Amino acid sequence: MTTIQHELADRHVERKRAWSNWATGMLFLLPSLLLFGVFLFYPMVRTVYLSLFLTDSQGVPIVFVGWENFLNLFQSTSFQISAKATALFVLYTVPAGIVLATALAILANQKLRGIGLFRTMFSATMGMSVAASSVIWMFLFNPSIGLFNRILAALNIPGVQWLLDPQYALLSVSIATIWMNTGFAFLILLGGLQNIDQSLYESARIAGVSESYKLRKITLPMLSPTLFFVTTVSLINAFQTFGQIDLLTKGGPMESTNVIVYSIYKDAFINYNVGSASAQAVLLFVAVLVVTVLQFKIGERKVHYQ
Amino acid sequence: MKKLWIGSTAMALLLAACSSETEEAVQTTDATAAPAEDTGKTEVVFWHAMSGELETALNTLVDDFNASQEEYEVEPVFQGTYEEALTKLNTVAGTDESPAMMQVFEVGTKFMIDSGHIQPVQDFIDEEGFDTSIWEENITNYYSVDGVQYSMPFNSSTPVLIYNKDAFEAAGLDPEKSPMTYSELKEAATALTEGEQKGFSILNYGWFFEELVAAQGGLFVDAENGREGQATEAVFNGEEGLNVFNLIKDMHDEGTFYNSGQNWDDMRAAFQSGATAMILDSSAGVKGMIDNAPFEVGVGYLPVPDDAERNGVIIGGASLWMADDIEAEQKQGAWEFMKYASSAEAQAQWHVDTGYFAINPAAYDEQVVVDQWAEYPQLKVTVDQLKETQANAATGGALISVFPEARQRVVNAMESLYQGADPQEALDQAAEETNRALEVDAAKNGN
Repeated sequence: MTTIQHELADRHVERKRAWSNWATGMLFLLPSLLLFGVFLFYPMVRTVYLSLFLTDSQGVPIVFVGWENFLNLFQSTSFQISAKATALFVLYTVPAGIVLATALAILANQKLRGIGLFRTMFSATMGMSVAASSVIWMFLFNPSIGLFNRILAALNIPGVQWLLDPQYALLSVSIATIWMNTGFAFLILLGGLQNIDQSLYESARIAGVSESYKLRKITLPMLSPTLFFVTTVSLINAFQTFGQIDLLTKGGPMESTNVIVYSIYKDAFINYNVGSASAQAVLLFVAVLVVTVLQFKIGERKVHYQ
Repeated sequence: MKKLWIGSTAMALLLAACSSETEEAVQTTDATAAPAEDTGKTEVVFWHAMSGELETALNTLVDDFNASQEEYEVEPVFQGTYEEALTKLNTVAGTDESPAMMQVFEVGTKFMIDSGHIQPVQDFIDEEGFDTSIWEENITNYYSVDGVQYSMPFNSSTPVLIYNKDAFEAAGLDPEKSPMTYSELKEAATALTEGEQKGFSILNYGWFFEELVAAQGGLFVDAENGREGQATEAVFNGEEGLNVFNLIKDMHDEGTFYNSGQNWDDMRAAFQSGATAMILDSSAGVKGMIDNAPFEVGVGYLPVPDDAERNGVIIGGASLWMADDIEAEQKQGAWEFMKYASSAEAQAQWHVDTGYFAINPAAYDEQVVVDQWAEYPQLKVTVDQLKETQANAATGGALISVFPEARQRVVNAMESLYQGADPQEALDQAAEETNRALEVDAAKNGN
């Protein structure tokens, strides 16, 4: 055999090996690909498809309308209010929630007697379902028998219609949401804090730097991967909030808490406009995608990986 | 099925072990525990939206029916609220999974007719020569379209004015006389507003608006409320609707109106805790209110504007629908249940247990009802209001399939009033948005 023939045979064997490697890999991936395909990719493609149609009440597409669903959304004041409410809701809940959870995590990261009790308390809301928490807050917010207005009354301040006044409703739901989400963020952040190499703090103590310097130069940079993760997850969560809205305000008053996911639900399952609901779902998907990509592009630069 | 058999056999064995009897005992227990199929009963699946005490009452009714005959076995399945149940039905309508019988709320009527998966009960009425004149006219009026009875009225309710008699007395008003007109209502509300207590409250719910408009003879949509053809335009922003919005706006501006939001329980809590002295509520909630309020409760008619003629009320609640794509036997079973449920005795018990109207007025002569009315005379007011209702297009109720959306728009407009919106503008906007929904709906149906 000549060298050329050898080379060709080698390349053939190589290609064959590459192919069989790929096939083996795919075989391992098959179960998850199948599951993703059935429960994620197919519904996604179907949603995009439905967004171009008017559907009957059972969601069967009947009239092709092209971009009309999208155009109607952009012109509808309802949708604009809804988009604004979603943006505000994200803005109210995510930064405040993360700052609160970080502060609690730093407090609870000390080695003190009985600290376990505080750690349990701070993470307790993680064990509460959205439904149960919403019912608790519904009673707290109740204008006639709720705790908040009783406190205000005791202080001689006129009561507030927490969930009934369009000015306060979104804020009230946000407060409840921050409370609900703190437990999860706290737990992850506490885990992140405990993973920080103690020798760094020992060196700092020897160097004799202040507490705030330690916080800025050691704790926060070392915690940044965890913070990044928590922020990403919280952002996506906030965009997808549904339960507390449904239970506390049903999107009202005057649509002030009608966040996109709730609006999708109403359109699809109460008004039976599956086409318009799908169009909103597509827009929400794009928005979440853009925000997440931006976060990775900009935010990740500041993350310090060890 | 196998598991059931093993289960029942195990039960039987356990029973036998406990008793001192011999083999025969096992045999007999086993036979009684056998599943329904062996007795040859046709199963009729019944989806409903009755929860809490209402579900208990419904289950009693179904059990009584099942015990009353040998051929059919109705199986009630709770499917969530009216809206949720309808959404679930939507996913199975026309398939084998579809229930034979379904409870649908009044505003779902047009939606069900348009769905194309239902069997009008009129066919059974004709076939049997069943006399529908025994039913309350106003109720059948709502559920029949172009003379065809599509569904069987079942649980019906209307709105009433509920007031705090003790507060009336304290404010120097006559506790036996409920406000009948808007100016009487306003005067009473002004007198009642004191300290933490406001005069009047309407839940931010489309139904109350529809009822207040109909009480003056106003229509909700064109084409005689959609009963003379497909409705294409909302007309609730006319004079009658404006009367209602002006009333709310005026009272809110005067500080005599309490905004109780969209939640029924919040509104009832506000009334019971004395935050408001008068509310509008469903007649089905009257009995619970009387039982739970720490004061004397009065019940009155829905108020109308001073110069308007009182037309009456639209029937609310729900009716029973029969699926089309099921076996003839199941249809017959559903029909038998419907007939049973509308009988005077069944309706009397139902009225007493739940506070819903008897669709069969003969029920009011039954002893259980007479006793109940002696104890709760307020319940009779709700029935009288319905009896005095004129049957016309307004009180017949609107027939549109986009009702849920229309209601959302109206609620939005109501809420904007508390923020100082102009009543006419708010109404016009709601009407315009409803028109758009009607338009989309027409496009879907190829019109």
